[in-house]
Amino acid sequence: MAVFGLIDGNSFYCAAERAFAPELRGVPLVVLSNNDGCAIARTAEAKAMGIKMGEPWHLAQRRAECKAVEWRSSNYPLYGDMSRRMYEVLAARVPQVEPYSIDEMFLDLTGLPDVERLCHRLRDEVRRIAKIPTCVGIGPTKTIAKLANRIAKDDVALNGVCDLRGEADRTRYYAELSISRVWGIGSKTAATLQNLGIVSIADFIKLAPEQVRDVLTVTGARVQAELRGQSCLPFTLMPPPRQGIAVTRSFGQMANTWGQLREAVAAFATRAAEKLRAEGLEAGHLSVFAHTNPHNGDPWYSASRAAQIEPTSDTLALLSETMRLLHACWRPGHRYFKAGVMLANLTPARQQGQMFATRDTVKSARAMAALDAVNARFGRGMLRPAATGTAMAWKSRQAQHSPRYTTRAEEMLVATAF
Amino acid sequence: MNYNGGNTTGFVSPAGDSLEGRIDLSATLDLSRPSRYPVRVAGDALASRGIVSGDILIADAAFPPAHGKVAVVMMHGTALVGQLAFTKGQWWLASGHAGVQAVPVTGDEAEIWAVITGLVRTEV
Repeated sequence: MAVFGLIDGNSFYCAAERAFAPELRGVPLVVLSNNDGCAIARTAEAKAMGIKMGEPWHLAQRRAECKAVEWRSSNYPLYGDMSRRMYEVLAARVPQVEPYSIDEMFLDLTGLPDVERLCHRLRDEVRRIAKIPTCVGIGPTKTIAKLANRIAKDDVALNGVCDLRGEADRTRYYAELSISRVWGIGSKTAATLQNLGIVSIADFIKLAPEQVRDVLTVTGARVQAELRGQSCLPFTLMPPPRQGIAVTRSFGQMANTWGQLREAVAAFATRAAEKLRAEGLEAGHLSVFAHTNPHNGDPWYSASRAAQIEPTSDTLALLSETMRLLHACWRPGHRYFKAGVMLANLTPARQQGQMFATRDTVKSARAMAALDAVNARFGRGMLRPAATGTAMAWKSRQAQHSPRYTTRAEEMLVATAF
Repeated sequence: MNYNGGNTTGFVSPAGDSLEGRIDLSATLDLSRPSRYPVRVAGDALASRGIVSGDILIADAAFPPAHGKVAVVMMHGTALVGQLAFTKGQWWLASGHAGVQAVPVTGDEAEIWAVITGLVRTEV
């Protein structure tokens, strides 16, 4: 029988910050989204103060009790590297690890002896080496392992590990847990089920599979089978092929003029083209959008344009298409707050020249390789089209960015000699 | 042109089949291990151990702490680097300064963070 584990970092971004900043230990801490907008990670102390996931930080800060809360801008170079460390600690100790998201990984524990003790040890070692406190859920399917992980997080008496391989244990939890706690059951689905009188997981698994399929389609039927202990979601060791590449951001400062908006969107298109080339792809469809701030009382204006394009990954070609589409979106008199560039119809880049190409694709590939090489050596954005501007007022606000301790030599941890 | 000792224009380079990459210190120091963290030293309290301000220490979080080893310790809200001692059933951080008392590694958030396994000095 298959055995899945799910190991998940507790307040992962906060834990990564605390790993290098002992002054943040034991105090309430939140990490904010891009542009210092909303709380996206909270320590237990911050949760206890009533700070909600996704809560706008400028509103929370007005509350008297939140004055003492420490906050940091998001530091993705650090979080990415700490996630890599967590993965490598695990990969050296179990046969297969699937990095499901930056802070949670599925483990293949099939056929291993003394799984519970192993999971306690994995927790200890991830904590000690990768500096991330975690919880582990164990089950015969991914969905059960995920549920077990949530139980381990909520019940401190379990010491961070919850094993739901045994049917009797599952029956006990299924009777008391709401179906809304299950992975893949959103709030809408839970409401639909509630209308049918189905509240607990126990209620849900008693339903006939055909009935579940009728109400919740094949996806819901799969959730039910997984909860019953039939594994339907196998290990995935390759990320799914990309459907699209999007670079969208809200601005640090609103864009009032065509020049400001153009610079921001040009930078997004440049970044999207870089991502495309890093994966060896070309895009055949391009879309652009821009809108005003829906929350600050400004008149709402939102526009988008899209076009089929000759497949390319050339920054300059994508830039000129982007500017053409953006100009059609632009109306003067608005304060633009957010914009983005999306690339779709992705295909592997061809090495040879194309028969009907209107550009010299070989020359373009050479120019782009040189551009990427310069930026790889001297840092992202060192060499870039002049259209992206020099003021870069659109750049996101990151007022409390911690050092990139593990990826920049000039920002490494400093320890005082004792 | 990007000349590497092998791609000559006139005479064929006798080194052409024997070229090797440059020395990679991050491989020597094994920095790709998930347990390794570079740490910069501030202060000269460990000069007696040959560690001076500005040195880059290679801290390994998987390395078991031992009496006499130099380690990074997180304690009382600061990152310290000092010599470990194990006496009276617990860990202490001994000072490099003569006459300064050792402090016990205790408290809710106190942690032996990583043991120092190597040192890099970029200016001598």
